[in-house]
Amino acid sequence: MKNAIKIIASLFLLFVFTASVVNAQKWQAPVLSKKKQNPYEASTRNISSGKKIYNINCKSCHGDATMGNMLPLQPVAPSDLGSQAFLIQTDGEIYYKVNKGNGAMPTFEKTLSDEDKWMVITYLRSFDQNKKESKKIVEVKNPEVTDVKLLLDINNENKRILANLTGVTAKGDRVALQGIELSVKVKRNFGYLDISGDDAYTNEKGEVNVQFPEDLPGDREGHVNLLVKVTDDAYYGEVIVDRIASLGIPTNPVNPLDERAMWGTRANAPIWIIFSYVGGVICIWGVIFLVLFQLIQLPKLAKNKE
Amino acid sequence: MNDLQEQKETTLSFEKIKKDILRPMQNHKGLELWIAFLITVISVCAWAYYVQLRDGLGVTGMRDYVSWGLYIANFVFFVAVSLVGMLISSILGLLRIDWITPISRIAEIIAVAFVAVAGLVIIMDMGRPDRVVNVLIHGRFQSPILWDITVVTTYLTISLLLLILPMIPDLAICKNELKKASPLLKKLYNILSFGYINTPGQYKHLHKMIRTLMVLIVPVGLAIHTVTSWLFAATLRNGWDTTIFGPYFVAGAFVAGSAGLIVAMYFFRVSYKLKDYITDVQFDNMGKLMVAVCLVYLYFNLNEFLVPGYKMKTGDDVHLTELFAGHWAIMFWSSQLLGNVIPIMLLVTKKFRKPFPIMIISLFILAGAWIKRYVIVIPTLLHPHLPIQNVPQNFVHYYPSAIEISVTVLSFALALLIITVLSKIFPVVPICEIAEQKGIEVKIEA
Ligand code: HEC
Repeated sequence: MKNAIKIIASLFLLFVFTASVVNAQKWQAPVLSKKKQNPYEASTRNISSGKKIYNINCKSCHGDATMGNMLPLQPVAPSDLGSQAFLIQTDGEIYYKVNKGNGAMPTFEKTLSDEDKWMVITYLRSFDQNKKESKKIVEVKNPEVTDVKLLLDINNENKRILANLTGVTAKGDRVALQGIELSVKVKRNFGYLDISGDDAYTNEKGEVNVQFPEDLPGDREGHVNLLVKVTDDAYYGEVIVDRIASLGIPTNPVNPLDERAMWGTRANAPIWIIFSYVGGVICIWGVIFLVLFQLIQLPKLAKNKE
Repeated sequence: MNDLQEQKETTLSFEKIKKDILRPMQNHKGLELWIAFLITVISVCAWAYYVQLRDGLGVTGMRDYVSWGLYIANFVFFVAVSLVGMLISSILGLLRIDWITPISRIAEIIAVAFVAVAGLVIIMDMGRPDRVVNVLIHGRFQSPILWDITVVTTYLTISLLLLILPMIPDLAICKNELKKASPLLKKLYNILSFGYINTPGQYKHLHKMIRTLMVLIVPVGLAIHTVTSWLFAATLRNGWDTTIFGPYFVAGAFVAGSAGLIVAMYFFRVSYKLKDYITDVQFDNMGKLMVAVCLVYLYFNLNEFLVPGYKMKTGDDVHLTELFAGHWAIMFWSSQLLGNVIPIMLLVTKKFRKPFPIMIISLFILAGAWIKRYVIVIPTLLHPHLPIQNVPQNFVHYYPSAIEISVTVLSFALALLIITVLSKIFPVVPICEIAEQKGIEVKIEA
């Protein structure tokens, strides 16, 4: 009996010991870094921009927040960043870890701006049940649906874009999907411009109404490439529509390569530079050839004198 | 000093000058050994270049960040040294400064050798050298690369002419005197002496041509190094984006060129036994000239680093702290101190302007000048304005590979070989000009 207690006691000690060793190897942020606070407020806008940054930079490994679909990396798998177990950490700790990286977790010190990092943290914090200021963005429960459709209705007159998100329930009814965030984007020269605005969540009719900016230039006819999608592919897979709409201001784009300029092709070099180059070459080489010409007359001069 | 010269005037005859200067060309065992050595070095290093040609520029240390490495630093250095031809034989020649007469040909030989190799270095920096003609076929007038190619070839041509034309009377002498020269060489002397027999008509005609070229090479010489600097200054990169780069490079070139000339003078004086021609006077005056050009260069350096260092604007700050106190500090300060400040302090005293000390000092200046080119080219490239993401770690640093170092050795050996060969087949000190200067009558038989 005594022996059994001893064995149990030592096993227990061993367990505590190993647990503490394992724990000590866990990734810890330094104490000082914990105090750092998020300077940005938890507004819907910040949360949604954080979500977009998250989807681009973190989702590939960490999966969808709260859904536990992380990439099973070895030896340490990434955590579910929406889980309560993770969110007990302070903003400062998370910020530190995102900055530094560890093992398979890359450093984002240079690749993300401070603002972007705080936006992601704001977004993650919105899943924290213990934070009073946290706002649940997806409160409405939509029914299980199939055949999700996104329809666009574009009003050229007052430049409004109305998007409508619906799906077919198990009973076969097409119903509006509510509280889903949409991204409305316009294609520009380098990537897409997000014009979704502050609050691009579908209302009870499944609609999002977005004002197209007054001053955005389009092509010669004012055409722009619109792209509307459900921001988060996790809900219904990729739901996306693109459309060419004449909402932009018609512009007459000049091809900078058409004019004579320093950056132009050789044929479009500025006249003065062609002149200086050709002129310089002709002058200098003219003199050189003149000298060469005089040089071959040197032997003749010897005869002349005698 | 004046006494010395007068003394020589009486002891030197035209025959003696001819004998002294032509002797090393006919019979000089050491020189042949030296040539053999250089050729060996070149053939060994040519293998490195062959590897580069076969496998591409991947064998060098150059990557996406640093795409101009050791080779371009060498190029700038070679162009810089070659400018001595224009400084000595043209600027000082036009000013009718007479102590340069015995060393002007050495200066011109250096100019020809270094500018020729500079052009080759550019080709050796190309992964596909066969495409070099594309610069001429498709070159844009807006691009400094086209100007650079143009101006390098022009400078080479004029330097060659300025080497050959003043040498015509001497070559006529060679034709007559060097009976044992190889037939090929005899033919060369025959062609290049252009039937010169020193008639007053020929003399006037020849000197008119020379003076024309001397004037012509001044703008071309300024252009060659200014355009080289524009290769850098025409971009917006930190450390290159400055308005004084043109004159700054020209000033630096005078320093490097003068140092190169002093070293060459010393070796010719010793190895060719030309003590009576390349005298202490030449070294003393070159020392003074060196102080002058170093001071100008120092002044440009102050402007180039003090003013941006005072402002430390974004971008420049990283670059300058890396130079002043960071990774490049040792190279930067050694080039500034050993290659400029300390030589100035030493060379103001006469005893350091004696041949041997000034030659040693010049070696330091040359090394400093080369290091300076290196820290002008590479550090800037390590800090691009748009950071390049997701690159392997080795892209973010630059260390020249063994191949690059071998090809560098190749180019230096090549420059030395050209100098040696030119000084083997041509008299390194102008015979006729020396005689004229000393009032000795020049006789050239037909
Ligand atoms: C290449 C895959 C990958 C990407 C992309 C990635 N992470 Fe991670 N992350 C990991 C891994 C693996 C770990 C676990 C590291 C460890 O504990 O050693 C981790 C850990 C973390 C932790 C610490 C978790 C904890 O339990 O303390 C945070 C916070 C974190 N990641 C945030 C982010 C954020 C924010 C982003 C996007 C900006 C991101 N990660 C992108 C792989 C990734």
